[in-house]
Amino acid sequence: MTKSRKRTVELYIPSELGYEKVALASAASVARKMGFSPDRVEDLKTALAEACINAIEHGSRQDAEANVLVMLTAEDSRLQIDVRDEGRQAIPADVAVPSIAERIAGQSPARGWGMFLIKSLMDEVEFTSATDGGNEVRMVIHLEKHDT
Amino acid sequence: MSDEITATVEQRDGTAVIHLSGDVTTFAEETIQRAYQDATATGARVIVLNFRATDYINSAGIAILIGIITQARRTGQRVRVAGLSAHFQKIFGMVGLTRYAEIYQTLDDALAQA
Repeated sequence: MTKSRKRTVELYIPSELGYEKVALASAASVARKMGFSPDRVEDLKTALAEACINAIEHGSRQDAEANVLVMLTAEDSRLQIDVRDEGRQAIPADVAVPSIAERIAGQSPARGWGMFLIKSLMDEVEFTSATDGGNEVRMVIHLEKHDT
Repeated sequence: MSDEITATVEQRDGTAVIHLSGDVTTFAEETIQRAYQDATATGARVIVLNFRATDYINSAGIAILIGIITQARRTGQRVRVAGLSAHFQKIFGMVGLTRYAEIYQTLDDALAQA
């Protein structure tokens, strides 16, 4: 039986908007190394950006002293991305699908697309509370045959 | 950490082109709003947002664009979008922006429309 090879990259970013780009660059690098197509790498970057922004804005309440942990786990044809904040505030996981019509009509705030994009772009998504407090989102993308 | 947004307004035959460069994030709101106001002040009935020099658009940036489109609709302006990467054309489609703004591959394509 072939032993699966797991590689992990851990990154702590300050809870300051803009630092999510550091995580995107790292995740994109790992995904390209695994053989993901350029399209899927872009999907991953967008989803990860939104997860980090949620963690920074809501989980950490933009406290630059707080960190957001981004953990990339590459195993065979699967890349798992965990984003965990230190839990200054709970992030509601069950959010209604946003309506562009309502937003254009000014009936609801224009923001709120983050979770929709994460769920739409990733193969698997799970929102939980970390055992030591904080919010955690786990995203998985699978390497498809056409990616390599 | 962001590539700071810049927005310049160019008039072309009654159309106002807003050239965006840098990251389209929450930090871009004031700049984009000011550019839209400047574009509207020219009397343009068509506003083209040129994203050719942008690489990063997040959901806060999308919210800014929704705000621009909302304002444009109130004044009867048409909004066209040009220069988006294939990925962000897909994202705009996913959130439904393509129902409210015309998406073109290039600025020339956007300007060629009646």
